[in-house]
Amino acid sequence: MKTKKLLSRLRDFLDAERTDQEREVDSIRQVLRELREKQRKFQAKLDDNPERDDREEIEGKLQAIRTQRQKGVERLRVLTGRQDGFKD
Amino acid sequence: MSIRTVVLAVLLGVLAWGFWQSGDFTEIAAGVAIFLFGMMSLEQGFRTFTGGTLETLLEASTNRLWKSVGFGIASTTLMQSSTLVSLVTISFVSAQMIPLASGIGVVLGTNLGTTTGAWLIAGLGLRVNISAYAMPLLVFAIVLMFQRNKMAKGVGSILLGVGFLFLGIHYMKEGFDAFQETFDLAAYSMEGMAGLLVYIGIGMLITVIMQSSHATLLVVITALAAGQVTYENGLALAIGANLGTAVTTALGGMTAHLGGKRLAVAHVVFNVTTALVAVMFMDWLRLGVDFGGNLLGFAEDDFLLRLALFHTLFNLLGVLIFAPFTKQLASLLERHVTFVSKRTVKPQFLHKDAFKVPEVTVAAVRKEVWHLYENAFALITHGLSLRRTVVRSEQSLSDAVARTQRIMPLDIDDDYEQRIKSLQSAIVEFISESGASGDIPAAATEQLYELRHASQNIVLAVKDMKHLHKNLGRQGLSRNRAIRERYDEIRLLLAGLLREIEQLRQEEPGASTVLALDAYKVRVERFYREFSVRLEASIRERRMRGAEATSLMNDAGYAYDIARMLIEAAQILLVAKEKEVRLAQSQLALSDEEIEAAAERVSSGEERTS
Repeated sequence: MKTKKLLSRLRDFLDAERTDQEREVDSIRQVLRELREKQRKFQAKLDDNPERDDREEIEGKLQAIRTQRQKGVERLRVLTGRQDGFKD
Repeated sequence: MSIRTVVLAVLLGVLAWGFWQSGDFTEIAAGVAIFLFGMMSLEQGFRTFTGGTLETLLEASTNRLWKSVGFGIASTTLMQSSTLVSLVTISFVSAQMIPLASGIGVVLGTNLGTTTGAWLIAGLGLRVNISAYAMPLLVFAIVLMFQRNKMAKGVGSILLGVGFLFLGIHYMKEGFDAFQETFDLAAYSMEGMAGLLVYIGIGMLITVIMQSSHATLLVVITALAAGQVTYENGLALAIGANLGTAVTTALGGMTAHLGGKRLAVAHVVFNVTTALVAVMFMDWLRLGVDFGGNLLGFAEDDFLLRLALFHTLFNLLGVLIFAPFTKQLASLLERHVTFVSKRTVKPQFLHKDAFKVPEVTVAAVRKEVWHLYENAFALITHGLSLRRTVVRSEQSLSDAVARTQRIMPLDIDDDYEQRIKSLQSAIVEFISESGASGDIPAAATEQLYELRHASQNIVLAVKDMKHLHKNLGRQGLSRNRAIRERYDEIRLLLAGLLREIEQLRQEEPGASTVLALDAYKVRVERFYREFSVRLEASIRERRMRGAEATSLMNDAGYAYDIARMLIEAAQILLVAKEKEVRLAQSQLALSDEEIEAAAERVSSGEERTS
């Protein structure tokens, strides 16, 4: 049992870089999910009333979120090595 | 009802009773009032006239003691107002533009300079019919004051001041001469130590009431000339006048910054010691006056000039006693006078126990930087003339901004010292000490470094707010609609940001919380671009002048910097605790180029179609 535990720790140690990457991928996915939700909410506000007073403010928020999501997807591609489209 | 109000009511009542009882008393009181008004005009005139000359000279007089003392003597002699010179000196010492020791030198000189007033009144005022000069002076003064030129107005104020001083002296003299025929105050004269102390007290009281030792000396000298006080009591009244100045300075110093308070303490120490020495060596001083008077050829019974000489001699004695020790006095005051105002905000979360665990250290510092932010939030919100409750509520900010009727008065300098700088210093010290207290992992060190950066940004934002508030006070509620609208935009931008940060703080912290502020960066960028375009249009349409537009552009720059600084600070404070999420947030955060591009797209309307 002791040897098995030691071997597991050794594998974790050698695989540290990979584990970090996996965690980063998970975190980016989490951020992207939240951003998608926010984008949907803001878009709905605009669709409900396109001439609202704070329209430009919401458009700014949407613009920022889109760019952030694009960057997130790009980063995911690099981390996972996938070239095909990501559904964040 | 405050004590101040009661004292004022009693004073007004006594004056009214006095006027009812005696026409001569009315004339004397009117003389004092006109004299004081003259001093105020003189001071106002010098303020417009010097246009920085006084300040430039003051700055140049710091390297040597004799220069500081000489500056104090010369400027007070010229302006006949030790108050004005003292106030400018206090502001310079407070701003650390001149060292405390030099400030003390100037104050010593001021005390000596103020004695020239007694010479003027005793030597000239009561011997020559100066009221004959007062009338033409007043006419010239008013003609000049009607001019548009600032310098001419300044000269007008000075002439008006001198004219009223002369007129005041004249009325006092007339009043006392007439008073002499009906009432003999000299019957109340007192001799010996008791007389000395009582009359010192009376002199002090008169000076505190009139807020001017000059005016007291005028009363004393004219009363002496009319034989209403004895020479001995007159000397005591002169000492009392000096002590009274110390009281008024101490009262003024209470509201000043630390440097000003130290200078005020120095002034009090100087005046009290000088008075004590004068009382202790009264007989010697009188011998000195007799000797000096004979040397200068004063008549035996010329008590007016002898009193002026006494006033100069005992102040000179004080200067001679203190001058060699100004540096020592300054360092003593710096060590012992460290007023911690009750209003000074103290750190709430920085306890040394936190050093034991690096994560706790980081958490404590983060909370303290939030505390600093809360203070800055209050200061900036009030600086924008809005209430915190409004910013934190759901109320329309544009309505609140548009409805503003007055710019809130605010001593941002003082608030900065008490609520911002004190906290930031504590944070910086705590971070440095945490580094020295043991091994801190690199990740914690990095976070502490960032938190220090956040605190620095908050401080810089408050500093910029100081400039913005000054201009808001001048132009923020301009009747020119174009200007008012631009200032409202500036206020709205910052108020909106403060609300956004407050909302993010209240929200459940999520992985994307910190990224939400990127959108506000886009808004700030757009604001700055569109602001310049609108300003240019306003100039083209002649809705405002070029100079007004330039000021507005500078203020838009301040607003831009304040917003960027606060966003950066809030992003550091709101960042996720988990290392991986932090990394993800930094990967997705927008760069400056991306923010500019996003702003461009929204401004051009691309966003609507995408």
